[in-house]
Amino acid sequence: MTDARTIRFTLNGAPVSVSVMPHETLIEMLSLRLELKGARESCGQGLCGCCTVYVNGKSVSSCLYLAQLVDGANVVTIEGINDGARLDPVQEAFIEVGAFQCGFCTPGFIMMARELLDVHPNPTDDEIRHYLIGNLCRCSAYPEIVEAVKLAARRRAAGTAPALAQELSA
Amino acid sequence: MKPGALAYFKPTTVTEAIGLLVDGGMDAKVIAGGQSLVPMLNLRMVAAERLVDVGGIAEMKQWSADDREVWIGACVTHDQIQIGEVADPSNGLMPKVASKIAYQAVRNRGTIGGSLSLADPAADWLTTTAALGATIEWEGPDGKKSCPADEFVFAAYTTQLDISDVLTGVRIPRLPPDATWGTYKLCRKAGEFAHAMAMVISAGARSRAFLGATDGAPIRLMHTETLVADFRNWESGHTALVSQALEADIADSGREFTDIQLWQSRTCLLRSIQMSLGFQPIKPEGV
Ligand SMILES: Cc1cc2nc3c(=O)[nH]c(=O)nc-3n(C[C@H](O)[C@H](O)[C@H](O)COP(=O)(O)OP(=O)(O)OC[C@H]3O[C@@H](n4cnc5c(N)ncnc54)[C@H](O)[C@@H]3O)c2cc1C
Ligand code: FES
Ligand code: FES
Repeated sequence: MTDARTIRFTLNGAPVSVSVMPHETLIEMLSLRLELKGARESCGQGLCGCCTVYVNGKSVSSCLYLAQLVDGANVVTIEGINDGARLDPVQEAFIEVGAFQCGFCTPGFIMMARELLDVHPNPTDDEIRHYLIGNLCRCSAYPEIVEAVKLAARRRAAGTAPALAQELSA
Repeated sequence: MKPGALAYFKPTTVTEAIGLLVDGGMDAKVIAGGQSLVPMLNLRMVAAERLVDVGGIAEMKQWSADDREVWIGACVTHDQIQIGEVADPSNGLMPKVASKIAYQAVRNRGTIGGSLSLADPAADWLTTTAALGATIEWEGPDGKKSCPADEFVFAAYTTQLDISDVLTGVRIPRLPPDATWGTYKLCRKAGEFAHAMAMVISAGARSRAFLGATDGAPIRLMHTETLVADFRNWESGHTALVSQALEADIADSGREFTDIQLWQSRTCLLRSIQMSLGFQPIKPEGV
């Protein structure tokens, strides 16, 4: 039972099967075995949010998630949130507002901001800050990040955005 | 650093989980949300050869309610309590506490049972269940057991749970509709484990007051409770009275407090009492 085991799950809409070790974390599997480099491990302790992905429609820190646990689950990473032709409105808003400098934290912030907008479609500054406190930006682009989230909220309200729910039912 | 080799099991009943834990002995560990266990495995602060995932046990993810109490299964997450998916026996205290535990991604996974089993002194649910007069329930090779939440913890990270026991749920009596509460925790960085914490619940002529984030189990403040039960309003003279009562309570507890811890605890307690009387404590920006 301490050997590699094959798990099957849905990754960004497509079925995959991967052989993983019982002690492997989700972030290791995604970045090392599946070559998805958007979510990244930084602290490995749940403190920074750089490794945020969705499992069954909820954000999780993939550094605190054993890979085996996603057997049968639906996993979405930053690579899976655009519709093929166009970036997600939250991604577009981050670019337009310039809500980053080095970009290391950006995939995590975008994943968390999308979930925030599903829960609070028209968030106040306090709601944005509270929802994003688990995401750290060493370049301190926080004011622009808050602006980008508000811009994305307006875009979504105008009906130009796919909601997380739609993507999961697809 | 990365966790060492381990074997993973996902039982579907409590009995099966206990069997797997008994077989694994000292090398087996329960995993629930993994939000404390995986970081400890990552840092190799904890070694386990066998992980028994209780997330597949349907009854532990459920909750039930009647007009006297609410039962919450050990695997209910902080997020489910925060968003009100679970019936609230506490006039809003539990959803508020849940919303201040760690960060959203941690709340999505972390469970009330995991938090209580680990018994980090700063865990919010330890103080909350004690203040609410809850009963903690578990099951092991010797059958089912339970105890009042304020008797569950012996010391930091040390509870009544034996190595092969599974915490199954928490039974929480409903607060009377007119009961009020106040709670405050002191963190340097939003979402981190608190440096000090207090909680006060008042219903009619009775109050319960606790300090959390100490060096061990939450501390019940009996002198403070007697004092606060007579408060109808916050007046400036109360500060000195609360400070005296708190010092008497700490002396009774026999626990060591540095000056800083005492100041921090007093600040949390004063703010909790004010909040329970209808005053909102000062709110730091962005929290
Ligand atoms: C960055 C960060 C910040 C945090 N901040 C806070 C905070 O401010 N306040 C707070 O209260 N918590 C905080 N936590 C901890 C969080 O609440 C965890 O979710 C919780 O302590 C553990 O719950 P879990 O379900 O993830 O348990 P796990 O990590 O799976 O398990 C924790 C321990 O409990 C045991 N265990 C779990 N479930 C059971 C069971 N049913 N029966 C018997 N044993 C069991 C495991 O064997 C393990 O030893 C934080 C965590 C992180 C990563
Ligand atoms: S790497 Fe997972 S939260 Fe920092
Ligand atoms: S943009 Fe550099 S860490 Fe956020």
